[in-house]
Amino acid sequence: MSRRRSVTRRPGVGLALVSPAFLLVAAFVLFPLGFAIFISFTNWPLIGPYHYVGADNYTNIGKDSVFLQSVTFTLIYTAVVTVPIFLVGYGLAVLVRSNRRGATFFRTAFFLPYVVGLATESFMLLLELQPNSGAVNFVLDKLGITDGTTAWLVHTNFAIAAVCVLVVWFASGLTMMLLMAGMQGIPHDVYESAEVDGASWWDREVRIMLPLLRRTIALSLILSVIGSFLAFNQFYILTQGGPGVSTTTVVQWIYQKAFVQLHVGAATALSLVLVVVVGIISAVQFFLLRDTTTETK
Amino acid sequence: MRWLAAAAGALLLVGTACGSSKPAGPAVGSAQFGVNATGVVHFWDRNATAPFGTLLVKEFNATHPHLKVELSPIQDTQYVTKLATAIRSGSAPDLVGIDDINSQLFIYNKAFLDLTPEVNKLPDKDKLSLLNVNLTTENGHYYGTPYVGDLSMLWYNKTLFKKAGLDPNKPPRNFADILTDSRAISKLGNGIYGYSFAGRCEGCLGFTMMPNVWATRTDIFAGEPGSQKATVSSNTALRQTLTLYHQLWSEHLAAPESETETGATWGQDFLAGKIGIFPGGYGTVAANASPAFLKQVGAVALPGPDGGYSTFDGGANFGIPRNGKNPSGAWEFIKWALQKQQQVQAPTTGFEPIRADVSTPAYKKRYPLNAIVLDALAHGFAPKTISYNVTFNQPGGPWQQMYIKAIFDGNIDGAIKQGQSGFSDALTQAQS
Repeated sequence: MSRRRSVTRRPGVGLALVSPAFLLVAAFVLFPLGFAIFISFTNWPLIGPYHYVGADNYTNIGKDSVFLQSVTFTLIYTAVVTVPIFLVGYGLAVLVRSNRRGATFFRTAFFLPYVVGLATESFMLLLELQPNSGAVNFVLDKLGITDGTTAWLVHTNFAIAAVCVLVVWFASGLTMMLLMAGMQGIPHDVYESAEVDGASWWDREVRIMLPLLRRTIALSLILSVIGSFLAFNQFYILTQGGPGVSTTTVVQWIYQKAFVQLHVGAATALSLVLVVVVGIISAVQFFLLRDTTTETK
Repeated sequence: MRWLAAAAGALLLVGTACGSSKPAGPAVGSAQFGVNATGVVHFWDRNATAPFGTLLVKEFNATHPHLKVELSPIQDTQYVTKLATAIRSGSAPDLVGIDDINSQLFIYNKAFLDLTPEVNKLPDKDKLSLLNVNLTTENGHYYGTPYVGDLSMLWYNKTLFKKAGLDPNKPPRNFADILTDSRAISKLGNGIYGYSFAGRCEGCLGFTMMPNVWATRTDIFAGEPGSQKATVSSNTALRQTLTLYHQLWSEHLAAPESETETGATWGQDFLAGKIGIFPGGYGTVAANASPAFLKQVGAVALPGPDGGYSTFDGGANFGIPRNGKNPSGAWEFIKWALQKQQQVQAPTTGFEPIRADVSTPAYKKRYPLNAIVLDALAHGFAPKTISYNVTFNQPGGPWQQMYIKAIFDGNIDGAIKQGQSGFSDALTQAQS
């Protein structure tokens, strides 16, 4: 038996090396998840005693009309903002991908909304949309378009439009950064040889850039869809889910259920269903946007 | 999964152990409870009532060197959530000043100490406002005491009444008066309107509209907490109140900002002299108005559709969470805060005392408007329910959905139908 055996062959060393990570995952992921599953089978109020309710919290989901409405609204909202976020992000990435003079400034400027944060920007927009005092109404009044008293956030369609504009402005910066990094990673030779072969800018963009960016596009779309599906801050601050419950998102309703109605058990069941749904959506996206070229090699 | 269940059980045991830890110091009912307590009392007060709480704490700490009270103001809309979370996690404060309308939620869930022996020993127990006391009781036991009052009234601008050709000494006494007076005042133009309300502040509208209903001695909750039913659809006064507000809105008798007012600048238009009639609290008007403006302001209790009157007997109650660490210190502070010399200071911070014996001639001379407000308590009301917060005080809740549909959309029938269903669902869930 060799006395100079590699340390990686000793199972004890390997276990010791991964155990900190395993303990952290167990403490902060597995145990809370298990505990959440346990809670979801009880009535678990925020105050007062709890008792086992079987699968009631799950079977009642179909009867929760507000939850079903919030799912529909969240899906529509996700569908509406995902395309503009991607298109604006892609356009910005094309603008700033080369290292010409001023590119750094524009990259910073376009990415800044993401750095500032959605909560801060939601509060800013809340102020600027106020009737009689907000900048939006002031400008529209000066241009003679409105009388400056429009209450944007109390009308469902105006409120949704305002949130969508805000979110596209906020999130397209991240998409731009991801796509720009992907574009800069494509070897310049490929581009140059296409140019020599007479390919136009449009051809190079559509036939070379897009296919080679497939994985990055998949990543940015998945992040965007998950972000939209879990939307909370912007609606909580700007519309509070209203008017009525017309702009209540899934996460907002779960929050409402847990911390306003104090039904933590039912809210946890909804959360676990949401985890599964988001997982399925992401899996479907991964499948649809998978890189088939590497699989056939 | 077995290890998971074991781990969950272990955590529960830890949580239960934390939650049920016995507080230090003498027990409720013992001779030493609330006497010469030591240490610190952590006091959670609502932002709304914190001005009065701050005043009391400052005076108490200055005169009681053996005990220190530390006040933490909590955002009103987050109060129930934060307190419930703190109680669940075993880190509750020693003393709470809770919106009186939410007291029953915590009492029903056995979150507060039973203070019956101590309340019965209070020398001025019979002087406390009965309405407020009622919200601290369950099955004849006291789980708290009143803390401070905050009542809703109908305020009116006598100068605008005169300008509109109305009698400034004849305030509106029913819905027809409100409409007639609002029409006359709105005709003055120049940004002057007859009425104003906070259309996006569901709590503000519950505070100021429900007394119009209670003036008819009816309510939309029926039964005892825990087994209540909603009676929205059968309440005629509620229908009439929603119709009145819709008329005020659709005839442009209410300020346009009424549609978007979230409560942040509630009453500012009335204080600016642009509104004839304004339903609101004493603090909203008296605590923020200049002395000159107050001289032209009149107050009257909120009327019912055909007369009668009521007021929302709001404000705050004291409660001592079961897992608080210093209940004896908390009770010592409560006893002191309920004394007459402390309570008579309430108007200086925009509130009403919760003692019936403060309204002396000297008090009426010093705080004439506050005395009028206190008189309205004779017909005051506040529903004893565990569901007020979830039905009335939440954006998207059944109350908000109902009044928005009625006032701004004009669909009274649809609103009542939706309200009945929404309140019933909320009650069922809260009481399940």
